[in-house]
Amino acid sequence: MRRAVTPLLAVTVALVLADSAVVTLALPDILQNLDASVGQVAWVLIAYNLVLGLAAVPAAMAFGRAEPRLFSAAGIAVFAGASAWCAVAGSIEVLVAARCIQALGGALALVGCLEQLVAARGERRGVATWVTAGVIGTAAGPVAGGLLTQAISWQAIFVVQVPFAALAVPAALAARATTAPAPSADRHRPAVRANLTLALMSAALTAALFLLVLLLVEGWGRSPATAAVTVSVVAVAAVAAPWLARAFRPPADVEVAVGCFLVAGGLAGLALLPSSNLAWTVAPQVLVGLGLGLTVDRLTSQAMRLRLPRATHAGWTISARHLGVVVGLAILTPVFTGDLRDAQEPAQQAVTALVIDAPLDPQDKIAVAKALGRALADERGQVPDLAPAFASLDVAAADRPALARLERDLDDQLERAANRAFRDSFLIGAGLALAALLTLVRPGRRRPR
Amino acid sequence: MSGQVSQVRRWIGLPVVAVVLVVATITVQLTHGGGTYEPLRPADACVERSVTSRATGIDGLTERLVLIGLDEAACTLRTSREALTLQLARQSGDPTTKQVDALREGLLSAVARMKADGSLPKASALVDEVLDSADLNGLLERIIRALPDSVIDRALSTDDVLVRTIDDLDVRALLDDLDDPSALDGRVEKAVTQAVKDSLEARLRDLV
Repeated sequence: MRRAVTPLLAVTVALVLADSAVVTLALPDILQNLDASVGQVAWVLIAYNLVLGLAAVPAAMAFGRAEPRLFSAAGIAVFAGASAWCAVAGSIEVLVAARCIQALGGALALVGCLEQLVAARGERRGVATWVTAGVIGTAAGPVAGGLLTQAISWQAIFVVQVPFAALAVPAALAARATTAPAPSADRHRPAVRANLTLALMSAALTAALFLLVLLLVEGWGRSPATAAVTVSVVAVAAVAAPWLARAFRPPADVEVAVGCFLVAGGLAGLALLPSSNLAWTVAPQVLVGLGLGLTVDRLTSQAMRLRLPRATHAGWTISARHLGVVVGLAILTPVFTGDLRDAQEPAQQAVTALVIDAPLDPQDKIAVAKALGRALADERGQVPDLAPAFASLDVAAADRPALARLERDLDDQLERAANRAFRDSFLIGAGLALAALLTLVRPGRRRPR
Repeated sequence: MSGQVSQVRRWIGLPVVAVVLVVATITVQLTHGGGTYEPLRPADACVERSVTSRATGIDGLTERLVLIGLDEAACTLRTSREALTLQLARQSGDPTTKQVDALREGLLSAVARMKADGSLPKASALVDEVLDSADLNGLLERIIRALPDSVIDRALSTDDVLVRTIDDLDVRALLDDLDDPSALDGRVEKAVTQAVKDSLEARLRDLV
């Protein structure tokens, strides 16, 4: 069992942090399955990150007063139980409540796992394992969630977490004993600058992952699996980023500044896509992934390095990251939902123009217009799927190629409208990454004369 | 010296690579239309555009008239053809007087424009199709069909019939009937028949 302790604890850390964004690709399915609105479904993400962000520091402080192994095991058990509850939630309200409990358990588990990893692997390697597991979880979360949603269902995302977490409970109890630091040992103040940069970068990265998957699934009508494979570029680039850094061995601040700049550039690239061809998203995603890989673990390490108690400072980094995600969602959700609403009129006008000018008989045009009218009436604030409307039409065989071309052209218009609707949000995300870059600028010190 | 080079490389190597990557990505995207990947903007309704129809005969003529008329009406109402179409389609109540007047004027302008550019067919080209759908006495129908085209074209001018039809049409009722093709056809047919009669009477009065 002892041999399995470190991997299981690392997997728990990855799961807890992956949960921050794991449901991103499942949101459209959850929206339909639980009959929720776009605003409500965003709370499945917001609630988890908000509770994790708020609970991390108090959990770290409470760690000093508890028996460490029990503390970790209890946190992981709560996380596992709440994951199971998420899987069986029958309404959006229950799902959001279960996500809050899941985050609470996750906060306890993260703090406990850190101390247990340090006890098992030593200070440097233990912290490095904890940080790396977190980065991998954050980057891989949306990919895993998308694949599970496509292959099975959104509930599967939560079901698969239960056995891993359940196995980690005995692992936590069997781990090497660790002594919790005394409550009075808080000798260092939080690393404000590193945590602030981390928060802003988390907000920007939320823009990249959350908005990109929504654009792919909701805007461009791609399947969750396609979207998952597409956004895996970010995770792959994030893993490759340390090699890039090792090639130049820049000072830590330069590495973080470059990471912020790359994320800003990648988000600007996503705002300026020339078409809905998935290939165009690759280069901007590589930039975002490299930026993620250069910043998050470096900033987390900076915020924790030589600061005691370690658990409290780890708590601050968790808090910064997840409150950053909440800030990102709080800024971006109203912007892109508003933009999506505003995009409806130009999209409908473009659709109308194409139908009017289509090389079809007038009666066929009227039939198309009626079918589209019904599809647009059912859209509920989402980008409509026109395929059923076209499938319901009965036209002469000679007119089918023109009808098929019209359907393609209309889909293209909807993709254009969705792309335009997401542009401002991506640019705001780029602005958040540049704001993170600004936090690194240290005011010059004047020499006394 | 090599130490200095190494120091410079440490400080500016990664930033230079980052700038190159970002600039290259955005430049390639912009040169391929990034930033302009947006929905089609509706054309200015006041700028004349060519209108074609895949349909022939009366259906084709009607479609071209409606499309030009819609453009003219949208121009009068200072909106786009698409926005006006959507307004009329979504409207739960009656269209406004302004919209009705603009549509009628638009259709009349369409007739004038088609007459001016020679795209209005002669009455003889439409008469067989009209007779097919008209509920006329068999003998009368055969007599009309036997008339030479030149006689029909001298007796009836398409633009006159169309203008009279548009004047007679109840545009509000027509918009109400858009979902009911048979009611729509009946209403248009009645107006066309009346317009043909009025046009013939006027022609006879002129001859007398």
